[in-house]
Amino acid sequence: MALDAVFRDQWGRVLATLVGILGDIELAEEAAAEAFAIAVERWPRDGEPANPTGWLITTARNRAIDHLRRQQVLADKAKLLARDLETGPQPAEALMEDAAIIPDERLELTFTCCHPALALEAQVALSLRTLGGLSTDEIALAFLVPFETMSKRLTRAKHKIRDAGIPFAVPPDHQLPDRLAAVLAVVYLIFNQGWGGGRVDLAAEAIHLGRALADLMPDEPEVLALLALMLLHDARKAARLRDGQIVPLDDQDRTLWDTQQIDEGRALLQWAMARGRTGPYLVQAAIADLYLHEPRDWRQIADLYQTLARQTRSPIVEMNRAIAVAEIDGPEAGLAILDRLDLDHYRYFHSTRAELLRRAGRDGEAHHAYRRALDLAQTEPEQRFLADRLAETTPSVRREPGCAST
Amino acid sequence: MQYALLAYAPAEDTDRATRPIPGTLAALLDRPNITGWARLHAEESATTLRNDEGRMLLTDGPFIDSKEYLAGLFLIEADNLDGALTIAEELLQETRPGTAIEVRPILDGRFRGA
Repeated sequence: MALDAVFRDQWGRVLATLVGILGDIELAEEAAAEAFAIAVERWPRDGEPANPTGWLITTARNRAIDHLRRQQVLADKAKLLARDLETGPQPAEALMEDAAIIPDERLELTFTCCHPALALEAQVALSLRTLGGLSTDEIALAFLVPFETMSKRLTRAKHKIRDAGIPFAVPPDHQLPDRLAAVLAVVYLIFNQGWGGGRVDLAAEAIHLGRALADLMPDEPEVLALLALMLLHDARKAARLRDGQIVPLDDQDRTLWDTQQIDEGRALLQWAMARGRTGPYLVQAAIADLYLHEPRDWRQIADLYQTLARQTRSPIVEMNRAIAVAEIDGPEAGLAILDRLDLDHYRYFHSTRAELLRRAGRDGEAHHAYRRALDLAQTEPEQRFLADRLAETTPSVRREPGCAST
Repeated sequence: MQYALLAYAPAEDTDRATRPIPGTLAALLDRPNITGWARLHAEESATTLRNDEGRMLLTDGPFIDSKEYLAGLFLIEADNLDGALTIAEELLQETRPGTAIEVRPILDGRFRGA
């Protein structure tokens, strides 16, 4: 169990270094997997080495050398190995003293895996596999696709990286903002998948990736802001469901909120704000923070949504602004904003609209909107929540709580 | 690495054969990292050959019938995909609006030039 945790922590680090040495993700992954398997066998018997990272990298590198030797395609495949190939594999202890100087190349690997030349779903899967250390099985489960499909998706992505020459490098300054945005989008996408209630805790995986990025890029405000945003959202996880039912924010039991995580999120947010620039994740983290305050400052929330809408041009952001505006100027003001949006395919649009219609006393229309939302709902708690609301707004059969209808 | 850049252009009204290569594009083509290039005649000039169980079948026209057609190709040398994309972007700036460039790594090959 403890070994498991060590492995999860080491996987990305070890793999990244191996990709740097071997120049091929697939080969690096095979070698790393072998090294971890050997460790599982030996460490409990012989004790954990003083420098687990160095041990794993050296062992994996030796396995790769063996591999390449057998295949006899070594010379041009891995120039850096040339010397080692002549002398043969070295004992795993050889690299131990160098532990501190093993370069951390996870950032290079991150930019490779989130390269825009890869399909977004491939970027997501690959990031979880290489940096997050999830197995193909776990990733398949998380995205509810068959193992075979996920395995093919990963293999295809690795082959494209190799064949198309997607670089293993941190992009130059002029490309960095775009490429970093792509990396953050992948992490945030993983986080949002996690809220759907799948079997693998993707939200925790995304936070894990976010922490690694914050560690690697401590001066990028958007990286810190994304981590803050995720922590602030995730802190309410335990309070969000009660007996399988979604609990709206205002009805949540605040004692269930993870205050330590909220504090950490707020500290990161302050830090990011102190660096000046206000990117979209910073604005979102600031909004997430404002939502946790009581009483809620709806005016500031509405303003921030406006800023965010300008940055992202997203109708979903406008929808959220409508919620804040409804709190300030009443439900009709919110509905006026919603009516301008083209979000008919979006399930939360209908539930949001239904809620405002209900508050405006337009029960008939609310009922209709809840019906649309229920048709589009994807998880069981969402369906239950909406079914209840649907029943409450049924125009003819008004039911009192606890009073069964006949 | 070597890459082939395949330029797909939208249909045009004038005869491309009579149109000279724009000066800005010609300047790019002279760069050493562009190792070869070919501008193709319009798609009406295409003939497609298929092997139907040993019988050679000829059809008039391009293999893929689409709104955009293969108008030309460039062979380039770049360190990696990012380098190739940078060159493709420069070339795309100098081609007609609506043109798209597909970037394909080259497995192996030889190009003697025209």
